[in-house]
Amino acid sequence: MTETITLSDAKVIIENQIEELARRNREPEWMTRIRYKALEAFEKAPLNDLVISEEELLHFIAKPEIEGIPENIESLDDLPPEMKALLDRLGINEVEQKYIAGLAVQTDTGVIYNEFLKEWEKKGLMVLPTEEAVRKYPDIVKQHFLKLFRADENKLTAYHTAVWNGGIFLYVKEGLKVPFPLHLFFLIQESALAQAPHIIMIAEKNTEFHLIEGCTAPILVKHSLHLDMTEAYLHDGAKVQLTVLQNWPEYVHTRPMTRAKIGKGARFINTTVGLGTGRSNIANPKYWVDENGYVELNGIILGQKDWFVDLGGEMYLQGERAAGINASKAVIMDESTVITRGVIRAEAPKTKGHISCDALLMSDRAVMETYPGLVSKVDDAELSHEAAIGKIRDEELFYLMSRGLDEEKATQLIVKGFLEPMLRDIPMEFLVEIRKIIELAVSGGM
Amino acid sequence: MLKVENLHVSVEGKPILKGLTLAVNSGEFHVIMGPNGSGKSTLALTIAGHPKYSVEGGRILFDDEDITALGPHERARRGIMLAFQHPPEVEGVRIIEFLQQVLVETKGVDPVEAYDMIIKKAEELWFKEEDLHRHLNVGFSGGERKRLEILQALLIEPKLLILDEPDSGVDVDSLSVISRKIEELHQRGTAVLLITHYGRILGHLDREKLRAHVMKDGRIVKTGSGELVDRIENEGFGRIFEEVEG
Repeated sequence: MTETITLSDAKVIIENQIEELARRNREPEWMTRIRYKALEAFEKAPLNDLVISEEELLHFIAKPEIEGIPENIESLDDLPPEMKALLDRLGINEVEQKYIAGLAVQTDTGVIYNEFLKEWEKKGLMVLPTEEAVRKYPDIVKQHFLKLFRADENKLTAYHTAVWNGGIFLYVKEGLKVPFPLHLFFLIQESALAQAPHIIMIAEKNTEFHLIEGCTAPILVKHSLHLDMTEAYLHDGAKVQLTVLQNWPEYVHTRPMTRAKIGKGARFINTTVGLGTGRSNIANPKYWVDENGYVELNGIILGQKDWFVDLGGEMYLQGERAAGINASKAVIMDESTVITRGVIRAEAPKTKGHISCDALLMSDRAVMETYPGLVSKVDDAELSHEAAIGKIRDEELFYLMSRGLDEEKATQLIVKGFLEPMLRDIPMEFLVEIRKIIELAVSGGM
Repeated sequence: MLKVENLHVSVEGKPILKGLTLAVNSGEFHVIMGPNGSGKSTLALTIAGHPKYSVEGGRILFDDEDITALGPHERARRGIMLAFQHPPEVEGVRIIEFLQQVLVETKGVDPVEAYDMIIKKAEELWFKEEDLHRHLNVGFSGGERKRLEILQALLIEPKLLILDEPDSGVDVDSLSVISRKIEELHQRGTAVLLITHYGRILGHLDREKLRAHVMKDGRIVKTGSGELVDRIENEGFGRIFEEVEG
């Protein structure tokens, strides 16, 4: 029997974590105060999670690490055999495998960025670990940290705020256009301190960049609840793409929290690719869009095993002629459940919004639900939605097979084709791996 | 090469083929004609292995092997290809990628070589390189669909090509290129089993060498030479059925 953890036990544990983080990160007092305030909020805040009960949450807090993952990973041979086998099947080279396993980093929560980026630093592109930004640029961080969220919204936002650690702070100077995608991923070694990274993105006026976060390869984490928070600020005319690749192992519950403020004439394209969604993945990103601004949320979901995915997305079209698109494509296999529930709120004249949801059901035990929400407070908004849930048609499958492809190969082609339109902005090197992962998932090899 | 023996086939419980027998030898050219609902397409789809068509009796042999229970891809790999009457739209699957994969997997062609082969053959059927980046049959006209079927046949070079109404829904220009290519394949050694309503596609073919069959109600009721095609053209099916029944 596992012992019962009470709320006050959890508070003590969190308090110890706060103290440890404050010391390790040599944190200024104002940040530690934010953590303590969040800890207070944690007690009273509601927990409105569809999957995790309060009892489970308290357990996660008391014992965040999963058993059976080796304490120290010194070589690829220390990886659990399934993880190693999967890396081999994906054909990921040894160097990249080492990065994934966290072997190529020296620090616990380091951010890897290459020489290329250092050049750009001189032009006004700043990328650094969030805790380092807290020390170096307290004024900017104070203006942007936890401005799009409140710690007391619920127990998860409160817990994140109390124990956040790692993540990146990205700042792009006015007018700077970065012509290549920035690829960043977090390397997690000491799990208990790395389950709640905090990301801040600031795009000054008329900047342009594409940030790719995460990896196509499975992420080796030792904890079972991952609570990352992203706050993005797009000033007027900024054009930002944020692509999040996720391939979580099956023991992880993930609750990515993303919010963005989109300035006048700014464009934000937020794509999430859930290759491995983990045991459960619940996200409800929010976007506030000013005059002539544009936001796009593209969700690609591979539902597998008995996993549960719930992707929302709320868009507040607050300025005249602001526009938003929430589009998702889900391939739902095995006994997984996928829910999509985008909401677009037209609050200013001449705004436009569209929600689309396409799902391919691959098994009769899989479940898809979609609940589009359109709210108009003005009389000249254009809001629409469409949804299509279906399975692969026998005629299509037969046609491809009649040319000599077996059922598995034919199915893979159709599934890749179904998802392809959503992957148009993803660089080739990732696409190759994403396609391979889709193939493996379809043939039950993940 | 192909032997269909006393074949009984039903679709969703409804009997369609009722004891059909047919033999096609290497390099031969057979034409099957018959009114709507006589079971022509059912025969084509059953030989190709469509899972919806269940064989209740009889068997299909190909090169002396019983293929009645084989999946469609296994039949394809043995050299049977069906050019569909209604090729379905397959959203998201690009023609070029699909054909490349087919050539790589079934013929062991190197992918780069396959690409060049496809582009070159496609030109002969009026497809430009950019057309091949479209999705399979999506938004295609009748003529485009049928030309794409023929392109696949030229690339795959099957031992037996079954053509299910390659002439229906096709413009005159497409029809002419389609019949020329069928003839070309036949001359290179492909046996052809052509299902048609009309004789117009046969205008380009040498009647002397044809074997013609007339289907009615799930059976072949008459077999003859190319002249039979002309008789059907001129007199319709009615007279022939009267003869058979009389």
